[in-house]
Parts: sequence; structure tokens; C-alpha cells
Amino acid sequence: MVSPAFALDGNDLLLQIDRNLNPDSYEAYKKLINIEPNGKKKEFVLFTLKKGKDRVAAMFISPASEKGRSTLRLDENMWLYIPNVGKPIRITSLQSVVGGVFNNSDILRLDYTSEYNVERVEEKGDEYILHLKAKTRTVAYDKLTMWAGKENLVPVKIECLTEAAMLVKTIYFKDVRDFGGGIVRPAVIETDSPLYKGYKSVMIFAKMKARELDDEVFTMTFMQNLDSLR
Amino acid sequence: MKSILRIVLILLLLPIHVLAQEDYSFDLSEIEKKPYTLGGYLELTPKIFWLDHDSAFYRLNFYDREEQNYLDEYNFKLSMNGGYSKGISEIYIRSNIDQKESDIDSETDISVDEGYLSVKPSSALNISIGKKVLKWGKGYAWNPVGFVGRPKNPDDPDLALEGYIVATADYIKSFAGPLKAMAITPVIIPVYDHINTDFGTRNNINYAGKLYFLLYDTDIDFMFHKGNSRPSRFGADFSRNITSNFEIHGELAHVDNIMKKTIDRNGTITQSTNDIENYLLGIRYLTEADTTFIFEYYRNGTGFTGEEMEGFFGLVDNGMNAYLSSSDETLLKKARSVTEGNYGRQNPMRDYLYMRISQKEPFDVLYFTPSVTCIYNVKDESFSLSPELLYTGITNLELRLKAGFIAGSENTEFGEKQNDYRAELRVRYYFDVAK
Repeated sequence: MVSPAFALDGNDLLLQIDRNLNPDSYEAYKKLINIEPNGKKKEFVLFTLKKGKDRVAAMFISPASEKGRSTLRLDENMWLYIPNVGKPIRITSLQSVVGGVFNNSDILRLDYTSEYNVERVEEKGDEYILHLKAKTRTVAYDKLTMWAGKENLVPVKIECLTEAAMLVKTIYFKDVRDFGGGIVRPAVIETDSPLYKGYKSVMIFAKMKARELDDEVFTMTFMQNLDSLR
Repeated sequence: MKSILRIVLILLLLPIHVLAQEDYSFDLSEIEKKPYTLGGYLELTPKIFWLDHDSAFYRLNFYDREEQNYLDEYNFKLSMNGGYSKGISEIYIRSNIDQKESDIDSETDISVDEGYLSVKPSSALNISIGKKVLKWGKGYAWNPVGFVGRPKNPDDPDLALEGYIVATADYIKSFAGPLKAMAITPVIIPVYDHINTDFGTRNNINYAGKLYFLLYDTDIDFMFHKGNSRPSRFGADFSRNITSNFEIHGELAHVDNIMKKTIDRNGTITQSTNDIENYLLGIRYLTEADTTFIFEYYRNGTGFTGEEMEGFFGLVDNGMNAYLSSSDETLLKKARSVTEGNYGRQNPMRDYLYMRISQKEPFDVLYFTPSVTCIYNVKDESFSLSPELLYTGITNLELRLKAGFIAGSENTEFGEKQNDYRAELRVRYYFDVAK
């Protein structure tokens, strides 16, 4: 899984991390859990599809109140389809369709290389520390600091920062496991934020596998048909 | 020993879990796909209206009833949807049972809002036949280009609507480059006895179509409707993110030879036929503090002028005077005959502004969204103001408390509405039987 062929070219390193996190084109199921300071939890389950650098779609399959809601991201364009409303509307990457600490760009995440350039890489013990800068101003977080294991080249922790270097949220990658088909990656992502003190959101991955998908799947018109691909 | 065996057996029969660290788990049975779906929601909505005795619509609706200061209304709704899919085909149905109880009215309505068969031979093609909702347009509160759908209620634009019986298809094509996607949606809408009777004139087949482009990160649609059930029309819409938190949208529709029926204070009905334009321009803006602003301007070309509305209100005045002096209901009955779908429809005049401000999760209260909505009639300066509190923190339960304040002087749209204030609580519980 790990390619030792790079000579600390930051962008090559980031590309390798992207490929270790997920195949270029894949399907997966995600469970989001929002945990409040009093321990109360609310869970959402999504079916996710991704293709190439800039296409990702997700559809809620539970709870019943969210079932059939779909979100689509085509580069920086994002839409939300709500069955009752009956037509997709444009949304922004900073909004959250589920509430809690994860926002839309966390849920509909593209490859890091498609949104960020690596400014510099540090080596510290058994980890690389990558300092990433957003390619455009439309990206949800202007800067990322990513800690990645040298051995397995998957992230351990990412700090999301504003342009003024204010910490917006921290994402922790845990529980590296084998999904089959050569995909070995963290199955659990936790996040907390100084903006939501005491709150925590967790994303658990299941059944991730490489899948060839038509480009037409990632269009506004197809959003209400995503369930047919499960 | 028996109890240990029982425990082991139970453990073996437990669903396979993807166990994660701490106590997070992902039960794979949660994502197992079944060929059928069955779900929906139960809804209870008690409402109270404080009535305005001086308003035209109060007098029109209550002149032959006992005088009341307020009106209670209890609405119960069971909405169910289900589907069955096999191969490339799927059958879907959505139906409602609505029960309304009020001081003056009691009714039960059972309806099938949607029921269609769709066939998806590929990701690029979807063919549907049956009763289906087709919502066109980018506007939040109004859709001037919604040629094949029913009008939304701008006071509650997210409500599910009833469809029409149609034959339709979507053909999608993706591209690399500035044109990222396009889609063609042809629609056939038959109008005969028992089929789409409220769409327009019967014994006609109507044709409509929409052409969609995602060009330079802008959604663009061109659409038309041609047929003898309604005046022909064509239009376009667009939507684009200027920045990641700022979206603009617009719609423009041209309608040929649309007939307008007006009535003056003496009950004389006048009909005129004109070509008109309806259009809408709007923005959606999200601040760093998670406040969403939606503003829209709507030009309703088929709407009434201030003078035409005053003619109708004058007719109700004259009718009320005739009824009080000689119990003559002629004028009031005439006024009632032009109310539904005409003077009494949602936003019957020409120029409106819509504003909605919503704040996501203020004071760190998760799943809580307060908002306020204002619909302002530019011509007569009357308006409605609706504050709302929405809480979705309990799984599958949605609680919405909403009030409505209506203000306007005499002979204005909102000033002559039946009530001054209203309050409602909507309790909605979603369920998924197939899970």
C-alpha cells in the first residue's frame, strides 16, 4: 500500500495519502454520530459515491426523517435534494445538512490534493506533518495541518484553520482496518471544535469498495435516483 | 450451564457489527437494501386564528355565520410513501389522509399525491409514467417557471405538493470542460375527464419540456409549455454561487394570451386577454455566524393592480351593506364566485418582496433553528410576518412552533385577510416500516 518512491515532494506525499484513504472512484457507507456534552447522540447513515477529483454524492438512508435526502458536490458546486421539497437547491460548503460539527465539505469530502497545495512538510518521529494551503478561497478551510503516519501514510490528525490561523476544528483518524480490495484506512473519524465546546461528531466507515461509476450519476437530475445504485 | 449456552447463542445470533473504538458501532443490517420501502410521517397541527371582523375576507366567509373572535383548527395527517423496485423498474406511491376539524368546518381528505412507474435503463435515462410532482424553477417562495406543477404556498414553500398524471423522461449527459452537464426533460400532460381536470381545459394533450445546462458553474434551464389546456408559455431560470456562501437565482416566464377576470364594486365582471411576463430574482447568503438570508423579488404579471383589488373589496362592502339592509346575498355570492383561485389565491397582486432569516443552532443548542419570514406587498405596503422555532433534536420527531402577524391598512391585500394573527404548533413524527 505504501509507496516509498517519493523524495518528500509534499504534493506527491499528499496524493499517496489520498489514495490510501480511498480509491479514486468508490462507494461506501458512513454513519455520522453527533454527541452532545450531556452524552445525547443522534445518528445518521449515508450511502456515498465518489468519482475522480471533483465528484461526490451522498444519500441519507436513516433516520426516517432524513431518508432520501441527497447531496451532490461537483467541484465547488453543491446541491441538496429533499424529497418533500422535490427539487435540488444549491447549498454552500460551510453549511451542515445534519447539524453538529461536521459540515457539508466534511461529509462530501473531495481528495485533499484537489483542494490543497502542500506548502511544506516536516518530519517528526514516526510522523510527517504536512502544511496545506487551499487552492482557492471557496474551499471550506483555508489551511490544514495534517499529521500522517510515516509507515502507513494515512492521516492521524488534521487541524482545520482559517486564513488568520484560527483553529476551526480538529479531525482525528482512528481504528485503521482492512476494508478488502487493498483498502486499509481509518474506519473512524472523530472531530471536535472550539466553536462547539463539549460537542463531538464521529464518522464511521463501512463497506468501502472501488466502483466504476458513470459521470451522469453526479448530476443534479440524478440526485433523486441515487438509491438505485445501492 | 443452560443460561451460559443461551447467552452464547444470543451473542452468535447478534447482527454482525463493524466494531469501532470506544462504543461506536455500525450495524451492517442498517444498510441492507430491501426491494421495497414503506415509510412516512404522522402530523398533528393545532392552529388558532384571531379573526379581523372588519376585513373583507372575514365578512365574505362569515357573513352568514355566528360572529366569532377566534377560530380553532385541528389538523391530523398521515402521509405514507412506499416503493418496490425490481431490476431497472420501480413503482412509487405517496398518499395522504388529512383530517381537519374546526369550529366551522370538518373534513377528511384521502389523496394520492404521487403514484408512478419509472424505468431506468441506464444512469443517463429515466422514464416515468403516472402521477408525479415536477418542480421547476430556482425560486424559494415562488416559481414563475413552474409550468407543470402546482403553485407553492410561499408561507410554507417546503410543503410536499400533489403531482399531475404525466409521461416524462430525463436524459442526462455529462461533459468535461465549461459545460459539465446537460439534461433534457420532455413531459406529456393529458387533460381529460377524471385526468388532471384542474390543470386546465379538458380533452387536450399538453406538451412541456425543460433543457438543463450546468455551464461555467451556473445552473441554467430553458422550459416551455404548449397545449390547449392552458395558455402557452416559455421561460428560463438560473442559479449560481458567486462565492461559497452567496448564491443568486432568477426566473423569467412569458405567457401568451392569458385571460384575466376582474370584478368591480357593482359586481360587473370584465375579461381581458394579454401577453404577460412573470419573473423573480433572489439571493441566498450565509454569514460566518450561520445566519441564512433569503431575499426574493417576485413580479406576478397576471396579478391584480391596486385599483382592481379595491374594486373587489368595494364589492364585498356593497354586498355586506345589501345583506344587512335587505338580506340580499347576490353581491356577496358573486364575490365568493371570483374568490377561489382568483382574488382569494395566495399573493394575488403584482409585486412582492420575500425575506427569510434563519439562524442555525444559536446559543449552541443543536438542531434548533429559529427563523422569521416576511412577505411584503410592494404596491399596497401590507405584509405578513411569521416567526418560527424549529427543533429536530429527537430522532424522527420534528417540532415547529409558528406564529403569523398580518398588517395592512384598509383595502390592502394583507389588511383585508380574514385573520390578524395566528399561531400553530406542528408535531411531525417520521417512521420507516421497511427498516
